[in-house]
Amino acid sequence: MASAQAATDGDEAHVVCESIHLGFGGRDVFVDLNCEMVAGHVTVLMGTSGTGKSTLLRLIGGLQRPDAGSIRVAGSELSGLAEVGLAEVRTRLGMLFQNGALLDSMTIFDNVALPLREHTKLARDQIAAEVRDRLDAVGLEDVEHLLPGELSGGMLRRAALARAIIESPEVLLCDEPFSGLDPPNVERIEGLLTRLNRERGLTVIVTSHHMASSLRMGHRIILLKDKAAVSGTPRELAMSEDSEIHDFIGADGAAYLKTLSDAEAAS
Amino acid sequence: MSNPVSDLGRQTLGFVSALGNITRFGSDVVRNLFRPPPRIARTIEAIYDLGFLSLVLIATSGFAVGAVLGLQGYTTLVRFGAEQSLGAVVGLSLIRELGPVLTGLLVTGRAGSSVAAEIGAMVATEQLDGLRMMSVNPIHFVVLPKAVAMTLVMPLLSAIFIVCAIYGGYIVGVELLGLDGGAYIASLEDSVDFREDIVGSVLKAWIFGMIIGLISTHRGYTSAPNAAGVSRATTSTVVIGSVTILFSDYFITALWGV
Ligand SMILES: Nc1ncnc2c1ncn2[C@@H]1O[C@H](COP(=O)(O)OP(=O)(O)OP(=O)(O)O)[C@@H](O)[C@H]1O
Ligand SMILES: [Mg+2]
Repeated sequence: MASAQAATDGDEAHVVCESIHLGFGGRDVFVDLNCEMVAGHVTVLMGTSGTGKSTLLRLIGGLQRPDAGSIRVAGSELSGLAEVGLAEVRTRLGMLFQNGALLDSMTIFDNVALPLREHTKLARDQIAAEVRDRLDAVGLEDVEHLLPGELSGGMLRRAALARAIIESPEVLLCDEPFSGLDPPNVERIEGLLTRLNRERGLTVIVTSHHMASSLRMGHRIILLKDKAAVSGTPRELAMSEDSEIHDFIGADGAAYLKTLSDAEAAS
Repeated sequence: MSNPVSDLGRQTLGFVSALGNITRFGSDVVRNLFRPPPRIARTIEAIYDLGFLSLVLIATSGFAVGAVLGLQGYTTLVRFGAEQSLGAVVGLSLIRELGPVLTGLLVTGRAGSSVAAEIGAMVATEQLDGLRMMSVNPIHFVVLPKAVAMTLVMPLLSAIFIVCAIYGGYIVGVELLGLDGGAYIASLEDSVDFREDIVGSVLKAWIFGMIIGLISTHRGYTSAPNAAGVSRATTSTVVIGSVTILFSDYFITALWGV
């Protein structure tokens, strides 16, 4: 309901990438890449390994500068900003790194509490309550006192997600939140992201190899291929005639179209 | 392709730009020194890691160096019949030179390398980027506490080194070689000037601490984000740190006469 509303009245773009060029040591990763992520939408970034999904998230977070092109996040042009200005923009962003990027000298609790301790004056027990709430939401319990090194990869990434959402950002950048998770946890994280998007209007930008969940949760899908971006609704991509896209989406596309038509038939 | 002149030119340019980079990094660190919040807990933690955990190394090394000085000094002095001045010889060379310099070299190897490796590993695992994304300045949060801790612990470690070394010299000279204990201490007390020697020694150690703190954090902070980058940061901290300490020791001695 709220998501339908966001989709109609909020067609304004939260993140816009225009004519991005980026190369590393003579090897081009992006050549004239254009894409945008709509406010209040879940946008899924897809593409085979090495096409630059993580790199695109780093560009949006201002951790990496493009060789040319413009990136606007919530109206701010990143290229003109120094580190202080970037820090300001980043207060609106939350980011889940592919490997969690938790501080390994601090416990999980301290890691998740860090943004609140740095930026708010909340009392100790309020912070503790917030941290427990977020850890609960990602399905972690009894890990607060552990160090990141004592957690599995999937647990780490969930703890990192808890840290990314603790300050209620406007835009959440998620790098592979599902990889290495078992089906119940994929469902839980997918549910959490969808819920944050619906209830709080959070703009979610998520990279994923998990085709079925991407088609289910994405309002739009951006497919990185040939150093540029192709975007469309899940339905458009699932019905695409392009053989490369067809091969990439595979059987999950057909299954997704079938559930759509079943749903239409039922209603 | 390469000729010696262009090689020299390139190396000079490389050196100058490296110097520029570390100067900019250093001024960034200093500017962050005055920004709130003060990182007291993190600095204390770093003092423990870098200082307290270096104590055994510093104390035993100091004792060994003092023992050797005692032995060498005795065999030289006895030829001139001046063995009663052993305390002065051991004490002065330690306080003015060997204490701060050897402590600096040991701390570079023990603590400087670990700082570079730790920060380098944080770069490689995107922990610093993670801080940036939380709008936390990694220089303020990670670099500053370690650099400050290094600067604070060096004078203390150097003093401990000197005390242990004087004790080492005492054990050898008095207990082993049969010198008079009172003479050893008296010659030491007579020859050491508080302002000139002690203050100079502390100042030297303090400058070395800043040098090690800056070089080790800079090498880690700018390392390539992979395992090879971490190992290069560690090695270059030890190499650059040691050489810088030895050279700056010469300049401090020549300019200030300490
Ligand atoms: N710092 C860097 N230096 C050199 N090359 C880089 C750097 N960062 C990324 N690349 C290159 O950019 C390309 C995209 O990398 P990226 O990590 O964004 O891929 P990805 O789509 O996230 O892949 P995966 O699905 O495996 O996570 C790769 O070819 C990689 O080699
Ligand atoms: Mg990636």
